[in-house]
Amino acid sequence: MAKKMSFTKEDEEFFGTMGSFGIPKFDAAMRGGVPRGFTIVAFTETGSGSDLFAKQFVSPAEEPENTLYIATDEGQQDIVRIFQKYKWPLDIKVRTIGEEYNNTVLEKQLLASRYRLEGFQLGDIQRLAQTRFVQETTQDFLTEVTNEIMALGPYFRAVIDNMDFFLQREDQSRVISMMRMLQAHAQMVRGLLFICVSSEGLDKSVKQELSSISDMTLSFRVRTIGSDFETSMIVSKFRNAPENLKMLVFRVTPEEGITPETVERIA
Amino acid sequence: MQSPSTYQRDRCVTGIHGLDEILRGGIPYGSTVLAAGTCGSGKTTLGMEFLVRGALAGEACAHFTATEPSVKLLENIRQYQFFDMNMVDSGLINVFDMDVLYSWLGLDKATFDLDDVHALIKAIVDIVNTIGVTRLVIDSVTTLCYKIKSDQLIRDFLFTLGKKLATLGCTTILISEITSATENAHWSSFGVEEAIADGIIVMGDNERMGHLLRFLQVVKMRGTSHSRAKHAIELTPIGVMLTPMLKWGAQIDSTSRWGQ
Repeated sequence: MAKKMSFTKEDEEFFGTMGSFGIPKFDAAMRGGVPRGFTIVAFTETGSGSDLFAKQFVSPAEEPENTLYIATDEGQQDIVRIFQKYKWPLDIKVRTIGEEYNNTVLEKQLLASRYRLEGFQLGDIQRLAQTRFVQETTQDFLTEVTNEIMALGPYFRAVIDNMDFFLQREDQSRVISMMRMLQAHAQMVRGLLFICVSSEGLDKSVKQELSSISDMTLSFRVRTIGSDFETSMIVSKFRNAPENLKMLVFRVTPEEGITPETVERIA
Repeated sequence: MQSPSTYQRDRCVTGIHGLDEILRGGIPYGSTVLAAGTCGSGKTTLGMEFLVRGALAGEACAHFTATEPSVKLLENIRQYQFFDMNMVDSGLINVFDMDVLYSWLGLDKATFDLDDVHALIKAIVDIVNTIGVTRLVIDSVTTLCYKIKSDQLIRDFLFTLGKKLATLGCTTILISEITSATENAHWSSFGVEEAIADGIIVMGDNERMGHLLRFLQVVKMRGTSHSRAKHAIELTPIGVMLTPMLKWGAQIDSTSRWGQ
């Protein structure tokens, strides 16, 4: 039997039925923002601005302690620098999986390479002779991330930027199962979940699965026009609101971050 | 200069009751000896006592355990009066857990390739060289070699390891698990260990009137003359005791030389 959630009247009034994308012009283009409980999957191209969009998505941070940003490629310092630059709140929860992976798995591999190349020193041998158990360094980041998001309460806001880290290291069906759990959790507690996946090299069937799980599907693109780059996003799925499907060209401004262009282009 | 007839190689006196008599003074220094035995035949105890006797004589000793975790090995061996945990704590006997060593070397995979085998040899030789180990036990070489898939690689591993340890003057006991110690049995699991080892000690059980009697027999030992008779082995609290097996009860001895 499905677990029932109850929401306080105050919460319902405070959060409303729609949340902000963190980009007022995009909220307007989507007729008020993103419905609470939505899972958004963004298929991205390198340099298309999706990293910034992901950060901007958590910037409304209605409840900072219930707002989580998970980065797999960037370090804490890079993220803090961007948040400071745009004056977005710094009190949200941030987890940098890439850094953690480097600190545990890669550090161990580096040490193993040193032992293999240079051999053991006396101190190493003494420590080895006193070590009775293998230190468990195999960390299941996928389960940890899933549990961390599942532990967020009603009206949470979370971002995973991006899923490539997991798709490259884990069984893809396991990653899809995790996504289904997270989508169900977001729906149940009226949370907002934004997930980035690189479209380059993504398996067609995985892309299909991810699209079907999501409530809203975005595609971030970048192309060159003359000597300029043009970044755009395509809303190709918006559950129960097909009128929101559109293509938006956007630019990045120092004041507002990602900003959809309001001028209609003539082809 | 000594004449060839009187020349004797220096010996590593095992200190195990009865074994040095069988070997006419001990194992020739730097030898690699395969101690092949069935389960429960006393291989681990023999190996550990070999190290304890060396440690008591002031030698640096090392034990690599692959069959059971080092914690369990030490707990089991503590019941023997000859063993003193202080020898481990003070670094006279260095007990290395192979799983830990694999982990440190990044050998977390199911099978080892040539590079992995060489890394393992280098690590063991490094340890022996750095702390001046003169007595080494690997328990068991069978478990270790299970990770090496090709016979050629196993041969290469054992031959290179044995050669390097001999150069360093380290006397090594490679414990090998076998399922049968009968006449037709191999004394190694992979069939290559016995060809490479300088010595082979076989350990097994003889059934006598419903009892399993442990026995030990030195089949081969390069560099020394030795008895090839079967000896009864008793694991007593004060250590391993070897006594010649009585012949009078063995009516089928001529057809079942290895105990069956």
